Amino acid sequence: MVTSDIYKNEYDVIIVGGGATGAGTARDCALRGLKTLLVERNDYSTGATGRNHGLMHSGARYAVTDSESASECISENMTLRRIARHCVEETDGLFITLPEDDLDYQKTFVEACQRAGIRADIIDPAEARSIEPSVNPDLIGAVRIPDAAIDPFRLTVANLLDARLHGADTLNYHEVEGLVMNQNRVEGVKLFNKLSGEHIEVRGRVVVNAAGIWGQRIAQMAGANISMFPARGALLIFGHRVNKMVINRCRKPANADILVPDDTVCVIGTTSDRIPIETVDDMRVTREEVDVLLNEGIKLAPSLATTRVIRAYAGVRPLVASDDDPSGRSISRGIVCLDHAKRDGVEGFITITGGKMMTYRLMAEIATNAVCAKLGNTAPCVTANQPLPGSEEGAPNQSDMTKRYSFGERAAIGRHGSLAARIEKDNDIDNALVCECEGVTVGEIKYAVHQLHVHNLVNLRRRTRVGMGTCQGKLCSCRAASLLGELHHDVRRAQKDLADFLDERWKGMRPVAWGDTLREAQLTAAIYEGLCGLDMAVSNQGKEDKQ
Amino acid sequence: MRTDTVIMGGGLSGLTCGIALAKRGQRVTIVASGQSTLLFNGGSMELLGNIDGTPVTYPLETIASLPEGHPYRKIGADRIASLADEAKQLLLDAGINVEGDAAANHWRVTPMGVAKHAWLTLSENLRIDDLKQLPARRLALMCIRGFFDEPNSMLANGLKELGFEVDKHEFTTDEITKLRRSPSEMRAASLAKRLSSNNALQRIADQVNSLAGDADMVLLPSVFGMSDNDSYDILKNMVNKPLRLVATLPPSVAGSRMQAMLRHYFMMLGGNYLMGDSAVKGTLEGDRLTTITTAKLGDMPLRADNFVLATGSFISRGLVADYERVYEPVMGLDVDADKDREQWTRFGVLEPQAYSRYGVTTDATLRCAKQGKTIANLRAIGSVLSGHDTVKMGDGTGVSLLTALAAAHGILSDK
Amino acid sequence: MADQMQLCNISESNFEQCTKCSICTTVCPVAAVTTDYPGPKQAGPDGERYRLKDPAYYDKALKLCLNCKRCEVACPSGVHIADIIQKARMRSSEGHRASLRDTMLANTDLLGTVANLVAPVANATLGLAPTKLVMDSVMAIDKHRTFPAYSRQKFTTWFKRHAAKQQDDFGQHVSYFHGCYVNYNFPKLGQDLVKLLNAVGYGVHLLDKEQCCGVALIANGLYKQAKRQARVNADSIRKSVNTDHRTVLTTSSSCTFNLRDEYPAVLDVDTSDVRDSIMLATRFIYNLVDEEKIKLIFKQDYKRRMAYHTACHMQRMGWQLYSIELLRMIPGLDLVVLEQDCCGISGTYGFKKENYERSQEIGSVLFKHIADAQVQAVTTDCETCKWQIEMSTGLPVENPISVLADALDVEATRQANNIN
Repeated sequence: MVTSDIYKNEYDVIIVGGGATGAGTARDCALRGLKTLLVERNDYSTGATGRNHGLMHSGARYAVTDSESASECISENMTLRRIARHCVEETDGLFITLPEDDLDYQKTFVEACQRAGIRADIIDPAEARSIEPSVNPDLIGAVRIPDAAIDPFRLTVANLLDARLHGADTLNYHEVEGLVMNQNRVEGVKLFNKLSGEHIEVRGRVVVNAAGIWGQRIAQMAGANISMFPARGALLIFGHRVNKMVINRCRKPANADILVPDDTVCVIGTTSDRIPIETVDDMRVTREEVDVLLNEGIKLAPSLATTRVIRAYAGVRPLVASDDDPSGRSISRGIVCLDHAKRDGVEGFITITGGKMMTYRLMAEIATNAVCAKLGNTAPCVTANQPLPGSEEGAPNQSDMTKRYSFGERAAIGRHGSLAARIEKDNDIDNALVCECEGVTVGEIKYAVHQLHVHNLVNLRRRTRVGMGTCQGKLCSCRAASLLGELHHDVRRAQKDLADFLDERWKGMRPVAWGDTLREAQLTAAIYEGLCGLDMAVSNQGKEDKQ
Repeated sequence: MRTDTVIMGGGLSGLTCGIALAKRGQRVTIVASGQSTLLFNGGSMELLGNIDGTPVTYPLETIASLPEGHPYRKIGADRIASLADEAKQLLLDAGINVEGDAAANHWRVTPMGVAKHAWLTLSENLRIDDLKQLPARRLALMCIRGFFDEPNSMLANGLKELGFEVDKHEFTTDEITKLRRSPSEMRAASLAKRLSSNNALQRIADQVNSLAGDADMVLLPSVFGMSDNDSYDILKNMVNKPLRLVATLPPSVAGSRMQAMLRHYFMMLGGNYLMGDSAVKGTLEGDRLTTITTAKLGDMPLRADNFVLATGSFISRGLVADYERVYEPVMGLDVDADKDREQWTRFGVLEPQAYSRYGVTTDATLRCAKQGKTIANLRAIGSVLSGHDTVKMGDGTGVSLLTALAAAHGILSDK
Repeated sequence: MADQMQLCNISESNFEQCTKCSICTTVCPVAAVTTDYPGPKQAGPDGERYRLKDPAYYDKALKLCLNCKRCEVACPSGVHIADIIQKARMRSSEGHRASLRDTMLANTDLLGTVANLVAPVANATLGLAPTKLVMDSVMAIDKHRTFPAYSRQKFTTWFKRHAAKQQDDFGQHVSYFHGCYVNYNFPKLGQDLVKLLNAVGYGVHLLDKEQCCGVALIANGLYKQAKRQARVNADSIRKSVNTDHRTVLTTSSSCTFNLRDEYPAVLDVDTSDVRDSIMLATRFIYNLVDEEKIKLIFKQDYKRRMAYHTACHMQRMGWQLYSIELLRMIPGLDLVVLEQDCCGISGTYGFKKENYERSQEIGSVLFKHIADAQVQAVTTDCETCKWQIEMSTGLPVENPISVLADALDVEATRQANNIN
């Protein structure tokens, strides 16, 4: 549907926030027959959804401290294996005990897991070394648990795709500037289209605030107060996989104690720092964070000490103070669903927050139940049983690929599951690789632009992994920018976009710019500035635009 | 093994220095650790393009105002003009057909259609001496179907902004169509290898001639001739309009060719070129370097009267940055670099980056030092030198050529 | 551990040091002639990241890699690209059996032993049109190929009968890893080496046990057998070096490269303790001359114009310098050093029917340069390059050791080195 038609519609429900929770809520609402709109101020999954480990928790991490979260996790873990097969890699995980850790904790841990319904098998350290050769060989204990890796970008997109398949509309780059209020009732959202500069009002019977840490501001627009406590976590990405399984530390959760194999890379994290809410948009990683992550990370897998770090990034987790103690001393890590009619006397407004990326579906179900209760809709939730687009029964996935496929096709199946069949591959141009590190073809880029709401290279990266390999977009970003320029019929925008993309890549490289990553950066500068003069092209554009 | 001079590094500066010495009868060994950064060069040399963001039109006049530590200041602003002439002649002698004048920069056209200052440009490439007097009015921009390493639409757009009328045509030939079957190898160099026969070139010329219409100049991507000028020369005669090339994204065909021609010239002069080897250690006796050990020659080190360090910057691993420091890996020579990692870089990707000015410390004669003590027979040239900024100042190739010649003169006059 | 934090980036075969500069793709002779091969970057470091994720990402087109190592030589980042590809092939081949043809081609020594016994018949048979047709259709060995002729007498037989006794008389001693080619096809090269070294006062000895170095076994995926033979050779070499204090010399660049570098890199047979004592004879002799320990005197009337071709593995070792500099010492030799292009044969690769055309196309650049050089003969350190260049240019090809032996004034050299 074209954007201008969306503006004229009236919706049953408008969801604010295009992270996993928002996307999941949009899907659930649409599946229950509600006329649904989702709005996102940036790109989908730019907030905490896209800024975590990519870990599909078994729940074991929370088993000792928060059994409710642990139970939610293991239940959702099993659900996602069924419904989001193409986003999940079933790696399993280890909780290792190192000589400096208390081995007695292992017993507490395993018992807590069993109480929460999480399978936890104590294995011999020798067996741990054999099934996961990268693990710290000094370990004195190991427990095997059903952790897995999940791609949050794919997961979010798959939810959005399904929402759209069931009649929902979705808009990215639409920022909520205010709520349409009629006395104590929220009747819609005031939007700013960041791409066109338009200001619009769209009406909806219920508005769901799924804006993560930014939800505090959305709630304020309705006159409701939520005390958010932003917890910042930084992570490092290594150039390739050193581990096959998720590796955790078997102790009370602390800094940098999880190493996750994600697609072609692996990720160590996180740090955890409470930060002022005003700073949640500054996601630059500091030198201190890098040092902590590396020094703790090598305790899990010593080879990280000599493995190239390609990128650092940080995210903010939306923790919520419980209503009876706004000081923040007792913070819930669980799911928080607020019906503001009951809480603040504001009708037609629901906030869903807290929780984890991992439990997005459950959060969506809870939020949708609340919406349905308001609208008198009695349709049951089916999101736990119905596979997401790409993960249907019989669809090819990473583990059953055969030699029939080219590198690009196989990489695409890994990313899009059965939807990879929609990628054009019948001619040599569509089969040409744009990103050689990650096997992204011209056809896949066209598919992403036409089907997955791609406005710029950063969007494209989230949908396809373009520029996510070790070179962080050396040649592919120019190829991809040219293609986008042609598909969008705007070459100047493509050039500016290319510069922005390189800047975005650099933001993550700078904190780890030594060794080969610095060489990579120098080569990129030599190509784009020295050889191509991209810096001049962009500054010329700037000058003309001023005139 | 003993030769008169051993040069560590086989890129533009190492080869230039080696050629200058071999021409004067020296026996020279070059240790080249892989291909050089010439393969990222689109076919132009820059003397000085920018100072503090301001384009430089007359480089020779501007050099005196460079900061003290700049390599040009070290070799002496008054010597630049004659060294520049000598460098140009050396390139011509190697068969590299460059045009340009050190007194006044011309404009080269980049793969994205940006006009950038340059000193020397291959005669086959599109070059603009005066932006108000373009070399053609209407250009036929010939785009190879499925070749993504030339950003065609950006190039066309840039050319239009420069004032050209541009007709964009897409074409293919049998050879190109066949190459497109490979999803990953549709690169400039692969094209150049497949488009070198007379038949292949004739098929291109036929396409070009039938599509060019009333354009008064034809532009093709620079995909002709990995090791010599033959392909372009043949094609030029087959195309019935003036033909110019535009650089592509790397690896560059023109850069490969310049590298090959310089190497060929050096070997013709009797030089030894050890490709794929690298210096790993040097032995000092007093203030002199006596031997260099290489990875491949192992326990038979290279001996020489003089040594030259032309190992390049971080890209070429002439400098290494690790978690803690920046250092020169062969000898542990003194370097000009910030100690604190936070200072190496800045946030914006297009901002000037401090690391690009890092390099080894030298005195005015380009001699290196270790722990403050000058090494009498070790000179550094090219990108491994500190105090210049290839990316922001547009001085990299000029520094490579001119410091190479200055070092060669120094070595020859030592005797 | 924390002290060493990030001070180096080490991974197996250094693949993560790849900056994706793509320079390797410009030198790959296979990608230059076929679109079926994904090129060294894709096959090597790019593919490896995916294979680490899931071995199913292995691409069988990796078999097309010649293992010429030109990508490694060109790489500015020190990535062992071809090693990555070979290891991936090895991993994927586990559990597969090589074809009869590949087994036959790979077992250069087995084939050689049989052929020597019946050399006249073998030579005739291998050259006959009907036989060639059978080989072409049944064995998939290309009919254009001329098998190298088999010698009637093995080198080792000659050595034991005619040379072994005198060797102990010399003051200095070396061992000789002659390889299959010298033993079965061309004993003259071995004889030339003995002549040359004897003239400068060195006795030459065979190793206790020598088996085929296995270069062809690796190329044909017979890794288990290659490993077995590698261990035998490594033990013999160790005895020569550690017990007898004899450097082990070779006259084949591929054998040398295999013994020194591929044993540890591809076969996981560690030879690092004796690696420095395995070398090409030209390197050994050059060094003796350079250190003025020996003198070489050449014939006054020797006059020849030859072109030196750097074999791919020679370039990978970086030792062409020694052969070239030694040849340059021959006053009557007008030496043209050719650009470093691949001849296309790469051991047994070019013998296979499916590779024949590719192989010839790869070599065409070199053949043109040779024709342009207008020489009487070509010299190179590799025996398979020799076959390919001889077949494709019609010019004779000789090992630098044979050229030196041919040009050497034996009597004058013996005198100059005080050998009685």
